[in-house]
Amino acid sequence: MSALNLVSVFVLPLLIVGIIAYGMIRRVKIYEEFVTGAKEGFEIAVRIIPYLVGILFAIGMFRASGALDFLIAGLRPILDPLGFPAEVLPMALIRPLTGSGSVGVLADMIATYGEDSIYVKMAATLFGSTETTFYVVAVYFGAVGVKRIRHAIQVGLIADAVGAVAAVAVCWWLFG
Amino acid sequence: MLNYVFGGMVVLSLVFALWQDAADLSRNTWRNGESIPLDIVHRDGSSIRFRIDGDSTIIRGDWRPDGDRAEIVVPVTDALPAHWRSVAANQESTRKQELRTIVVASDSTSAAIALPAVRFVKLRAITKAAFDMAETAVTLALGLIGVMAFWLGLMKIAESSGVIRIVVKGVRPFMRKLFPSLPPDHPALGYVSLNLAANVLGLGNAATPMGLKAMEELQALNPDKETATDPMIMFLALNTSSVQILPPVTLVALMGLKVNELFFSILIATTFSTAAAILAVKWMEGRAWRKEAA
Repeated sequence: MSALNLVSVFVLPLLIVGIIAYGMIRRVKIYEEFVTGAKEGFEIAVRIIPYLVGILFAIGMFRASGALDFLIAGLRPILDPLGFPAEVLPMALIRPLTGSGSVGVLADMIATYGEDSIYVKMAATLFGSTETTFYVVAVYFGAVGVKRIRHAIQVGLIADAVGAVAAVAVCWWLFG
Repeated sequence: MLNYVFGGMVVLSLVFALWQDAADLSRNTWRNGESIPLDIVHRDGSSIRFRIDGDSTIIRGDWRPDGDRAEIVVPVTDALPAHWRSVAANQESTRKQELRTIVVASDSTSAAIALPAVRFVKLRAITKAAFDMAETAVTLALGLIGVMAFWLGLMKIAESSGVIRIVVKGVRPFMRKLFPSLPPDHPALGYVSLNLAANVLGLGNAATPMGLKAMEELQALNPDKETATDPMIMFLALNTSSVQILPPVTLVALMGLKVNELFFSILIATTFSTAAAILAVKWMEGRAWRKEAA
């Protein structure tokens, strides 16, 4: 583990310096090329704004309405007997929707159950294993202006669901 | 699909908000209009100290005559009963730090007051959330400008110096299976694999710029610019389900060293989710293909 942490400290500076140094060796006009690329980065960041506003305000309203609490209450009797604890359910449902929301859920769970609780381990594993699918889909397709995304959401949610079940199962197996 | 998700979330939020607000009103959850008896401990001009009947805590407030009625304005502190504090937090007035109670009856030693009515909490909450999140979206996007410009600047150098070509060559055999419809030497594959590598290593801020660059390259190959292609969907599926060797930075910030215990659980869970993503994409592609053939 500590070796891996060490890698993560070195990988970024080496990558940055390595790319620049290799560019110098290959006699690329590094500064001009950098600026050209950076301009593109600026444009992309601005281009995604409308898509982000669209998806995030809808998610915000949905979350504020308390609809998720109903969903959790409805799913609890089905999932509890299957070994999927209701305590972890909010994380599983909020994680694909919002990054900041799921950070809030996890922080809240740590405060409520303590770091060593198996529920926190499940939720943290879930947090680490899945992505904010809706945000990623909105940003990535928004950046290139694709509006018909076909089955991208379904596939992302299937992966999220499998990730959530796997996170819970693996934690029962490792820590249960 | 996104249209249904988008519309569904907005419409459902209104339905749920109305339902809960109606339930609150019919059950009078907020005890609107309930009169609360007080013992006045001391009143001197506008300053007043009182006790809620049956409670020993002394609460300070401001006595404000208003025509033939009067108000007691109570600053919100932890000393107030929990119900008072939640009324203060959910009241219609935007000044949440004070509670303007209406005096319904009073003599020199006692009084009865009513807390401000609380109505349509959820309805106001969803409206506020809509505007707040619209603002958050812009903050998020603008916050990305720096890292985006930085990484795409570096990537441009990498492209001109041939690093991307080297990466593409290295990952070609593997990527060919996942992205059969892409030309095998296309730079898109380089960005796709750099994004996936950044994800695997938990480098969120490097991953997004490379991912967006990858999408641009995939879009260049797209005949219908408004519709997602198979490689785009495969890429997004791999991206969101990504195998994690190092946990994401936010998780480390939240859990500290405890996160080390989760190394294997995250690795195993993400292996399953990535496998599921690949299978799901292939299955959906197959379904679309069969539909066309039929």
